[in-house]
Amino acid sequence: MSNLQSDLPMPIQGTLESEKARRSRSTALLEWLQGWLVTVDHKRLGILYILYSIFFLLVAGAEAIFIRIQLAIPNNHFLTAEVYNRFFTMHGTTMVFLVGMPILFGFANYVVPLQIGARDMAFPRLNALSFWLTAFGGMLLYFSFLGGGLYGAGNAPDVGWFAYAPLTARTFSPGNATDYWALALIVSGFGTLGTAVNIIATIFSMRCRGMTLMRMPLFTWLYLVVSGLTLVTITPLTAAQFMLLIDRYLGGHFFDTQAGGSALVWVHFFWIFGHPEVYVLVLPAFAIANEIIPVFSRKAIFGYPAMVAASVGIMFVSLGVWAHHMFTVGMTSVTNAFFVLSTMLVGIPTGIKIFNWIATIWGGRVRFQTPMLFCLGFLYQFLIAGLTGIMLSVAPMDWQLHNSYFVIAHFHYVLVGAIVFCIFAGLYYWYPKATGRMMSERLGKWHFWLFVIGFHITFDTMHFLGILGMPRSIYTYQPDRGWNTLNLIVSVGGFIQGIAVLIFAYNFIVSYFKGDVAGDDPWDAWTLEWTTSSPPPVYNFAEEPEVRSRRPLWDLKHPYDTDWEYEG
Amino acid sequence: MSSEEKNPHAGENTGVVALPANTAWPVVLAFGATLCFASLVMNPGVGIAGIVLVLVALVGWVRQIFPHEHHEEVLVVAHTTIATTARTEVGRIELSEIQRSYLPIESYPITSGIKGGIAGGIAMILPAVLFGWLTQHSIWYAVNLLGGAGAAYWTNPTTAYIAAFHWSGLLIAVVIHAVICLLVGLLYGALLPMWPRHPILLGGILAPVLWTGVLHSVLWFINPAFANRIAWGWFAASQLFFGIVAGLVVARTGRIQTRQPLPFALRMGIEAKELMSTEQEDEK
Ligand code: HEM
Ligand SMILES: [Cu+2]
Repeated sequence: MSNLQSDLPMPIQGTLESEKARRSRSTALLEWLQGWLVTVDHKRLGILYILYSIFFLLVAGAEAIFIRIQLAIPNNHFLTAEVYNRFFTMHGTTMVFLVGMPILFGFANYVVPLQIGARDMAFPRLNALSFWLTAFGGMLLYFSFLGGGLYGAGNAPDVGWFAYAPLTARTFSPGNATDYWALALIVSGFGTLGTAVNIIATIFSMRCRGMTLMRMPLFTWLYLVVSGLTLVTITPLTAAQFMLLIDRYLGGHFFDTQAGGSALVWVHFFWIFGHPEVYVLVLPAFAIANEIIPVFSRKAIFGYPAMVAASVGIMFVSLGVWAHHMFTVGMTSVTNAFFVLSTMLVGIPTGIKIFNWIATIWGGRVRFQTPMLFCLGFLYQFLIAGLTGIMLSVAPMDWQLHNSYFVIAHFHYVLVGAIVFCIFAGLYYWYPKATGRMMSERLGKWHFWLFVIGFHITFDTMHFLGILGMPRSIYTYQPDRGWNTLNLIVSVGGFIQGIAVLIFAYNFIVSYFKGDVAGDDPWDAWTLEWTTSSPPPVYNFAEEPEVRSRRPLWDLKHPYDTDWEYEG
Repeated sequence: MSSEEKNPHAGENTGVVALPANTAWPVVLAFGATLCFASLVMNPGVGIAGIVLVLVALVGWVRQIFPHEHHEEVLVVAHTTIATTARTEVGRIELSEIQRSYLPIESYPITSGIKGGIAGGIAMILPAVLFGWLTQHSIWYAVNLLGGAGAAYWTNPTTAYIAAFHWSGLLIAVVIHAVICLLVGLLYGALLPMWPRHPILLGGILAPVLWTGVLHSVLWFINPAFANRIAWGWFAASQLFFGIVAGLVVARTGRIQTRQPLPFALRMGIEAKELMSTEQEDEK
C-alpha cells in the first residue's frame, strides 16, 4: 500500500506524456486511474464530485422517467406499488444527497480556491477524504438494491426521502432497506461536513493579497454562507439517523409513540435539517447566477453589499421556518402563526436578490449564450417558485394543498427550475476552464430550449393536478378523477426533459475531444480563475495574485477605468 | 519543513512549487469507514475488514504528515497571459434628466411615517370604541372583535360574549393593533417619497380606501366570524380617522433632503471613499 503514497509523479499533462511512450497502454491507463484515486488536488476532486453527480443525475432521472411512465395513464401496471415506492424514495434521496449536494460542492472545490487566488483548499487531504466518503455513501445507498435483498427481506429503501416515523420502525420496514438509507446518509453526511469545514477554512485563511471579505466574488461569499449553514443542518439529520438505528436495533423508543416516544420528533428533526437543506441547495445556485449574470450582461453586479447581506439574512431566516412542512400535524395556532410569518419573511431577502439580478441585467449589453440562457430561466422560475412557496406558507391554504402535487410542483420549480438550471449554467460556464475546450453552443441551445419547454409542460401542469386533489406518492389512480389528461401531459414533458439531458450528456462528452479550444478567458470574465490557463496548472497560480477590487480582471483589462477607484 | 516550504500554498515564484503529495490514505480511510457502517447490516467480517482498513489508513495518514508533511515539487511552467479584452470601450448608463425629475429632492423621513402610525393608531381607538358603544353599548365590543381574530379558541362567540370584557381579548387586540399600526406607519413612510407633496391625501384618503378595499375582499378568508360582524361604514370611517391623523403628524415634521442629489455610487451604498473625498474637495 505504502508505495501508493507520494513518490509517483503527479499525472499532469507534460509529466505523464514522456512516460507514456515507454509503458504499455494498460499501465498508463492504470496509472492515470490511480492518479485520480489518490489525488488531493482541489480541481481534480471538484471534477470527481461533478462527474459523480452527473452520473447519479442520469440514474435518478431514469427513475423519474419510470415514475412518470407509471403515472402517465390511470390504472397502470408498469411498476408494482412496491417498486414504485422504492423508485420515488430513491429518486428523491439520490437527487438531494447524491446529485444536488455533491455537484454544488464540486463547483466549490473547483472554483473557490481559484477565485480567491489560492493554490488549494486549506485541508487537501481532508478534501479527498470528504469526497470519498460522499462517494462510498452513495454507492452504499445503491448497493441496497442488492444488499437489501441479500441480507434480509426487502430491497431498496421505500419510505420516502423524508422517511417519516413510524413507517421506518422495524415492524413496518422489515429487512435492511431502511438501514441502508440511514447508513448511506450518515456516511455521506460526514463527507459533507468535512467539505463544509474545509470551504470555511479555505475562505477565511487562504485569500490572496488584497482580497478583503468585501472584495470576495459573490460566488465565494455564498459558499461561505452555505458551508456555515451545512454545519448546522447536517448534524441534526445525522443525529436523527443514529436515533433511528437505535430505535431499530437497540430497543430505543425515540420515535415509537406507543412506547412513550413521539413520531413527531422525527418530523421536527427531519425538517430542522430539511428546510435549511433546501437552502443549502439553492444558495449555490444563486452563487452561480451571481457570476454568470454580470459577465453576460457586461455590468458589475448591482448592489453587492445588499447581496451579501441578503445571503446572510436568508441563512438565518431559513433556520426558523422548518415547521411550515408541518402545518397539518396539528400544532397550536400560535405555532402555526409563527411559522407562517417566519416563512413569509424569507421573501424579503429573496426579493432583494431577484431585484438586484434584474437591475444587473437592466441596461446591460446582454449576450444570450447558453450559460446566460439558463440563468434567465432560473430567474423567472425561481420567482414563480417563491410565489407558490408563499402560497403554501399560508397555513389554511397548506391544509388544502399539503402532500398534493402542488407541493411537488412547488419544490420541483425550485429544485429543477432554479437549481438544476443554474447547475447547467455553471457547467457550461466553467467547462472551458476545466477542460480547455468549449461545449457546443448549438447543442447547448437545443439543450436549453428542449429543457425549458419540457420543464414547463411538466411542472406547470403539476400545480393544477395538485389543486384538483391528486396526492403525492400514489402509484396509480382511478380513471374517473379527472386527472388523466393532465398526467399524460406531465409525463410527456418529462420525456422532453430526458431528451434534453441526453443532448447535454452527449455535448459534455464529445466537446471534451472535439470542442473548440477555449483559451484562458473565453467569456471575457472578471474573476481570478480566468487568469490561469485552461485547464489551470496543478499549482493554479505561479505567483500569488494581488487584487484591488471585486473584479480584478476588469482592472487589468481597463487600466484607465478601474473598479478600485470606485469601490474604495 | 524546510524554510522554502513554510507555506506550501502561497510560495513565491521560485521555479518550483511545493504541493501536498498525492496520497491513498483518504480513500482507504473512507472505504474502511463505509465498511464499518455497512457491516451493521451485512456481517461482522465486513466490519473487521473495515476496522483494519481504518487503522491502517490512520497510521499511514499520520506518517504522511509527521514529522514532515509530504510534498511534491512541481515545476512552474511559465505562463504569462496578459488579460485583455476586445471590448475596450466602456459604456455608461445615462439617466435622462426627465427620469430624474420624478425623484423628489425633498421628502419626509421614514420615521415620520412610523410616528404617524403611532399617533393614528392611538387616535383610531376613539371611533372604534365609539362604534362599540353606539351599536352594542359596550366599549369592549370592537376590542374583542379584533382580539378574537387572534384567539383561536374563541369558536363562534355570542354577541354578549364579545361585548363583555376579556383579558385575553384586550391583550391580543393591543398586540395586533400595535403591530399593524407600526407596520402600516412604516409602509406609509416608505411610500411618502412617491407623493411627497400631499402626505395627507396619500395617508388620509388614498391609503384608507385601499386598505379597506383589500380587507373587504380578503377578510372572509382570514376570519369569517370577524367579517360577519364588521360594520364596513364604521370601519372605513375609523381608517380615515387614522389616516388623517397620521397625515397631519407627518405634515408637521419637516421635510428632509432625499439622497437623489448625491452621486449614484454613493446612493448604491458602494463605499466610495475616493468619490466622497473628491466631492468634498470640490465643495471647498
Ligand atoms: C420564498 C421561498 C419559499 C417558501 C415561502 C417556501 C414554502 C414552502 C412550504 C410552506 C412548503 C410546505 C408545503 C407542504 O408540504 O405542504 C414547502 C415545501 C417544500 N419546499 Fe419550499 N418554499 C420556498 C423556497 C424553497 C426553496 C428555495 C426550496 C429548495 C431549494 C424549496 C424546497 C421545498 C421542498 C423540497 C418542499 C417539500 C418537501 C417535501 O414535502 O418533500 N422551497 N415550501
Ligand atoms: Cu421548507
